Amino acid sequence: MLRFILQRALYALPLILVIIVVMFTLLHLIPGDPVQALVGDYPVPPAYRQAIEEKYRLNDPFFVQVWNYVTAVLQGDFGYSYQNQRPVLGLILERAPRTILLASVGFAIAIPLGMTIGVITGTTRSATTDKVWTTSALVAYAIPAFWLGQLLVMFFALRLGWFPTQGIGPLVSRAHGFDWLLERARYLALPALAFAIHEGMRFARIMRASVIDTLSQGYIITARSKGLTRSQIISRHVLRNSSLPLVTIAGYAFGSALSGAVLLETVFTWPGLGLLMVDSIRLRDNLTVVGVVIFSAFAVILMNLLVDIFYALLDPRIRTGG
Amino acid sequence: MTIPQSQQIGNVKHLVAVKNLKVHFQVTDRIVRAVDGVDFHVNPAECVGIVGESGSGKSTLVRAVSRLMPNLRVKELSGDVQFEGRDVLKMSEGDLRELRRSRGFSMIFQDPLGYLNPTHRVGRQIAEALSPHGNVQSDSQRVQSLLEEAGFQEPNNVARSFPHELSGGMRQRVMIAIALARDPKLLFADEPTTALDSTVQLQVLQTLYRLHKERNMAVVIITHDLGVVAELCDRVYVMQTGKVVETADSVDLFERPKHTYSARLVELSAHRSSFRGAQYE
Amino acid sequence: MANSTSISVSARLKSASDWGIAKVGSMMGTRHGAIGSTILLLLTVVAIVAPVVAPYHPLQQTAVSLAPPSSQFYFGTDNIGRDLFSLILYGARSSLMVGIGAALAALLIGGTIGIIAGYFRGPVEMVLMRIIELFQTLPVVMLVLCAVALFGSSFWLLIAAVALAIWPMEARLVYGQYIKLRERDFISAARVADFSTSHIIFREILPNAIQPVVVQVALDASVAILIEAGLGFLGLSDASMVSWGQLLFVAQDYMDSAWWMSVFPGAAICIAIIGLNLFADGVNEIVDPRSTRGMGGLQ
Repeated sequence: MLRFILQRALYALPLILVIIVVMFTLLHLIPGDPVQALVGDYPVPPAYRQAIEEKYRLNDPFFVQVWNYVTAVLQGDFGYSYQNQRPVLGLILERAPRTILLASVGFAIAIPLGMTIGVITGTTRSATTDKVWTTSALVAYAIPAFWLGQLLVMFFALRLGWFPTQGIGPLVSRAHGFDWLLERARYLALPALAFAIHEGMRFARIMRASVIDTLSQGYIITARSKGLTRSQIISRHVLRNSSLPLVTIAGYAFGSALSGAVLLETVFTWPGLGLLMVDSIRLRDNLTVVGVVIFSAFAVILMNLLVDIFYALLDPRIRTGG
Repeated sequence: MTIPQSQQIGNVKHLVAVKNLKVHFQVTDRIVRAVDGVDFHVNPAECVGIVGESGSGKSTLVRAVSRLMPNLRVKELSGDVQFEGRDVLKMSEGDLRELRRSRGFSMIFQDPLGYLNPTHRVGRQIAEALSPHGNVQSDSQRVQSLLEEAGFQEPNNVARSFPHELSGGMRQRVMIAIALARDPKLLFADEPTTALDSTVQLQVLQTLYRLHKERNMAVVIITHDLGVVAELCDRVYVMQTGKVVETADSVDLFERPKHTYSARLVELSAHRSSFRGAQYE
Repeated sequence: MANSTSISVSARLKSASDWGIAKVGSMMGTRHGAIGSTILLLLTVVAIVAPVVAPYHPLQQTAVSLAPPSSQFYFGTDNIGRDLFSLILYGARSSLMVGIGAALAALLIGGTIGIIAGYFRGPVEMVLMRIIELFQTLPVVMLVLCAVALFGSSFWLLIAAVALAIWPMEARLVYGQYIKLRERDFISAARVADFSTSHIIFREILPNAIQPVVVQVALDASVAILIEAGLGFLGLSDASMVSWGQLLFVAQDYMDSAWWMSVFPGAAICIAIIGLNLFADGVNEIVDPRSTRGMGGLQ
């Protein structure tokens, strides 16, 4: 097991390096003045220009620059956001918890939702259920998440006035205790709902396919021959075994959700990493853009690693090296 | 309605009596007549062989009789299948479960790995067969004795293993232990040794034969190996393309095959065994 | 022996080359295929004849801004008085062009890499598979966003960026098909008959791999349209072209006063995606009538 973890970690490490190098190369490829490329479209005072040139060794050969950049990033130095007058890492660390909050709540709804729908539609013998499922799965797939967000805002926030349209709530809140929680929850409700519907339907599709696959396995026949009831078979032999693929995919998806649900955060002006990314793109704050991408790649790789380990714990065939 | 009919079908002494069974599948736009009008019976404590090439419908026959049909679209399922005078095909799901839990019939399969849940330990899977709410701790005594009966020397280690940690022969023994859990009167064995090494084949067959004798349990063995039939079975059915072409005592079949197809099977198996004999010399 | 080999090979070839017409016919026989093909056909026609049927020029600003849907403006007007119905008709052009363009580009990249990996095996195969895996691990949408952010968003760059995001799916599929098909009898027959490598690839394997590839291209196009819409929604698509995502970007600021600015472009995106997926289903169904999996090969 320990060997398995180490092996996976060793596989992840070069991936991170590759991404950092690729990102720096992209920055390097931006046509025009390299200092401007790093700083964005702002007039750069000469003293600052010199500092940047020195810091990123812009007058040295490309490989020196790359090496210099990689070591800086690995030490947590993503550079300085001239636009925000703050270090990029600080910006990222401020935004990340909000993204994690949204993603966690969204997943906490999406996973049980997806599993339930998947098991029901996967085990059903009713043609009607099947038809309803096929149609709604297709429609859910076709709706872009951000448009779903807009529809939710227009209906629940603007029409019914149940929820605020955007944002994360007042910076300094007067409410306390339970009221505070409720206040936060009202802001979180719509983005989390959009997130959960979108991802939940995707999970349902995966779960359904997996359930159908499990039902065709021989051990289901064995379970039937033991005289188990349908619900016993589903809860003991179908549920866990069909959840394995979902665990993997949900885990990977959580990784990419940590990198910011860019579109949803934009719809709801949810000030997480995704919105930081979009704002920085608009302001051409390239160091921040690259910083967010590297950070999210890191989050994805880390999550993938954790998922692999978790999966191994769930599946004895991997755990015991079979 | 059932009582007079069952007497008509034949001897009430039969454990299983099948009359004119038809199982047709819809595969894409074709209809496959897997079983096409088969009569078949098994007496208590008898060992019956069903032989035939793959695709002759022998597996489908026992799957239909035990109501463990594969996941195909069934176009037609008709005929009369009686287990101790009760119509199996018309049984409700609940009655069927009841029958499986109470000295009815069990089944083992060709590929034991696929028929064991990969994520559960062996002990738990056997305990589950003992009672649906089976608990590994409280049933551990009975799990152990079942495993011993199935031929394991160290039942405790086996009970704690996962299926993938066992060899093919051991997995088939685990399947046997599961099948024995409810003390069935009839065991269907669907090509139980085809996937195993030849030395292991013999051991598993010996175990089956011992259990058949010790427990007075009827056994139906599906195989394409006539040697197995000659060794173990009292009677044999020969199937070809969904129909029974010959039924005979297994000794008679070898000495005086009536149907040309049976004759060919016997001839083939003679070739095979003489070849095998030459190998061992 | 040599004779029978060449006969079987050419028989294969023939059946593979009939694929087109006969299958399109039976496609219309399946419900999903019929609906999907109709939607796609309709969208294509709309995209082509947009200038003829659109009541207004897409950039023409009428006197009324934010007018609700009416008989004069079927879908209403936007914040600067442009007719939404005309905008959506024109929007079909960029969505379909980016969708199909990116899917075909992905087919070209992914197909080439898949063919090379599948056909040549050995270290080439290993290196290429690692690269494919790498791309599948990366948060690719982030990368696309990043590329567009750093290099601006011209139409061609958009297609290239989206293709970059989806080519690994295509590569895996083509690779898988090759692995499967290269072992089949008729391929070894072709080898025995001493055909050249390129003949085996293009005349023997390719025609037989075409069906799953058509499905994948349709699904890729739907993913591409979604990504393009997303970029448009972030205000990062080619500003000189009208696109559905871009309309949603503008609608974001008028959600409280003009629901039609959001509802109609969004619905247009949905319909395009549904059309492509049903089309893919239909292609799947004619080959394997039992497969009613829906959503084709997606995830």
